[in-house]
Amino acid sequence: MTVGVAVLGCAHVSHAWSYARSLSVSSTARLVGVFDVDPQLCEPFVRDFDAPVYPDAAALVEEADVDAVVVCSATADHRSYVEMAAERGRHVLCEKPLATTVHDAAAMIAACQRGGVQLHCAFVSRFLPLVQQARTVLQAGQLGDVIGMVAGNRGRPPLPPQYPDWITSPSQAGGGALIDHSVHVTDVLRHLTGREVRRVSAEVDSLLWGLSVDDVALMTMTFDGGAVASIDPSWSVPAGNPWDYDFYCRILGSVGSLSITDTAESLQLVSRHVGSGLRNVSFGADADTAMIEAFTASIRSGTVLDPCADGTDGLRALEVALAGYESAHQRQMVDLPRPQP
Amino acid sequence: MTDLRAGVVGAGFIAAAHVNAYGATPGVRLVAVADPVADKAMELAARADAKAVADLEQVLAAGVDVVSVCTPSPTHADLVVRALEAGLHVLCEKPIARTLQDAQRVEQASRRASGLLMIGHVSRFEPDHRRAKDLVEAGHLGEVRMLSHSTTSSMPGWSEGDWLSDQEESGGPLVDLAVHSFDFAAWLTDSEPIRVHAVGADTAAGPCTYALATVRYANGAIALVETSWGHPVSYGFKLSSEVVGTDGRLSWDYDHLAGGTLHVAEREVTRWEPLGDRGFRAEVRAFVDAIRASAPSPVPASAGVTALRTSLAARESVRNGTMVDLTTWGRA
Repeated sequence: MTVGVAVLGCAHVSHAWSYARSLSVSSTARLVGVFDVDPQLCEPFVRDFDAPVYPDAAALVEEADVDAVVVCSATADHRSYVEMAAERGRHVLCEKPLATTVHDAAAMIAACQRGGVQLHCAFVSRFLPLVQQARTVLQAGQLGDVIGMVAGNRGRPPLPPQYPDWITSPSQAGGGALIDHSVHVTDVLRHLTGREVRRVSAEVDSLLWGLSVDDVALMTMTFDGGAVASIDPSWSVPAGNPWDYDFYCRILGSVGSLSITDTAESLQLVSRHVGSGLRNVSFGADADTAMIEAFTASIRSGTVLDPCADGTDGLRALEVALAGYESAHQRQMVDLPRPQP
Repeated sequence: MTDLRAGVVGAGFIAAAHVNAYGATPGVRLVAVADPVADKAMELAARADAKAVADLEQVLAAGVDVVSVCTPSPTHADLVVRALEAGLHVLCEKPIARTLQDAQRVEQASRRASGLLMIGHVSRFEPDHRRAKDLVEAGHLGEVRMLSHSTTSSMPGWSEGDWLSDQEESGGPLVDLAVHSFDFAAWLTDSEPIRVHAVGADTAAGPCTYALATVRYANGAIALVETSWGHPVSYGFKLSSEVVGTDGRLSWDYDHLAGGTLHVAEREVTRWEPLGDRGFRAEVRAFVDAIRASAPSPVPASAGVTALRTSLAARESVRNGTMVDLTTWGRA
């Protein structure tokens, strides 16, 4: 029996398309339909995957053969779609960041608990084979105690027309590069070490592209047990760079060190048809498909399977990002967890 | 759908890669591993919870649908022909055979056979080579005009009785190793080789264990193939490749692919190679998928013959100091 999945909100266009592609080739899942308030955004799903488009979100979620939804709307809209699915007993994979506020994220977790459904957060970096290999090394104790980490997920500025406007809207996205990319990296560091972040400081600004949200950010943090880390989530990659996005992590432990970078696994291409100058073309394993397969396997087994990220993982990474903004704004270090309001 | 029952003949270095790949492929179960060296057969069979036997006949007796032939090259032909005649699907390690006569015998047997014969030119299934082919097929390079493909290492130390060192047995690196390059170049250019000339040199590993072959293709493309068993032991195995087309250029090499670097205390540094067993897994998956779909062989005998013919012609060129015309040389 395959898992029926609906895509609810396509505003995170490239991610929604990639997840739909993974669903369309999966032997364990099937793509039941797609919805977005802007029907134009659904067109690629019809063209590429022959997916039915629904004019009404609730009608799609209520289809008898929908077991789960993938929410890829603008971040500020995640909560309403997740609650809609949870109330109808549908499992959820929600795009990152989980929400723009801790309040919304907590409400989404509670709604899924009430509905008796799984809430997954789309932290796809966990599914990079290099990250899983690093986790194996750490869990085997090969590095000893973790002392320090430097990690990053840099990227191209998400400018129109390739990217929708909402990603650079403070109210819709909750911020800029820091909230967009740091959550991936924070999550991987938590996933690798099994530790929580206890203190955050950050410098955050709009320095490169004239956006109304931050495009450059550097965040440092201290984990339970004393390990320190720095994260670079900046949209700092100019046109003409050989790669558009990267993911890297350097770890120093008490008895060893480890460095991983996902841009190594690629061919070097120069082509008059592809960009200008040298391009890295990855032949790395497809992490999106691995995440989708793990999501559907979790639904079939009735429990969130390792290494999937759940709602709490989404909330923790969001708390760290928001603490980063607070630190930059207040010009002081911010301790976690925050006192309850 | 019932599982396919698989056997592996040979229990050496490459056989282990096949055993691991069968283990990772859904819908197929490894039931027997054969090797005349009982300890090797038992050790490899135990890994897959399969039966250890002595030879192909005992694999057949165990009741199998598919078999991998992973024995020394001169033995490929008899085993493949026998397995095809027994109605099995066969995955034959490269080279297809050690001699052209044997290779042609295998090709003829595959035409008569009900089962599918695939030659294990694993490069086509390695993710780096596969992506290169994808980029060419997508037109990013325009027409491929030239390429280089280099595979270099020290003398492999893992062959049973050191059969690789015996040039009569293995054909040296031009046959055993460069056959990958010749297959990749023909596949990537999608063209027949028409001419080859090669030079060779002796190394501490033996006569003509370093060689350079230049191949011309029917569509005009030119390929340089470098192959070596003469590098220092500390060098490991390296591959580098460049492809130049009318619209672009592509390159990669093993020195720059490692995505992870691990230092632990006083031990030697470990670099994480991204390829691992991905090629063999994809190869076995393609083999099984083609059988299930009754599809044509992903790498037919004819491709194996072309690659071997290029290898043997390159040896002929080194030996005689002549260019070899592949439109006539060694044609059946």
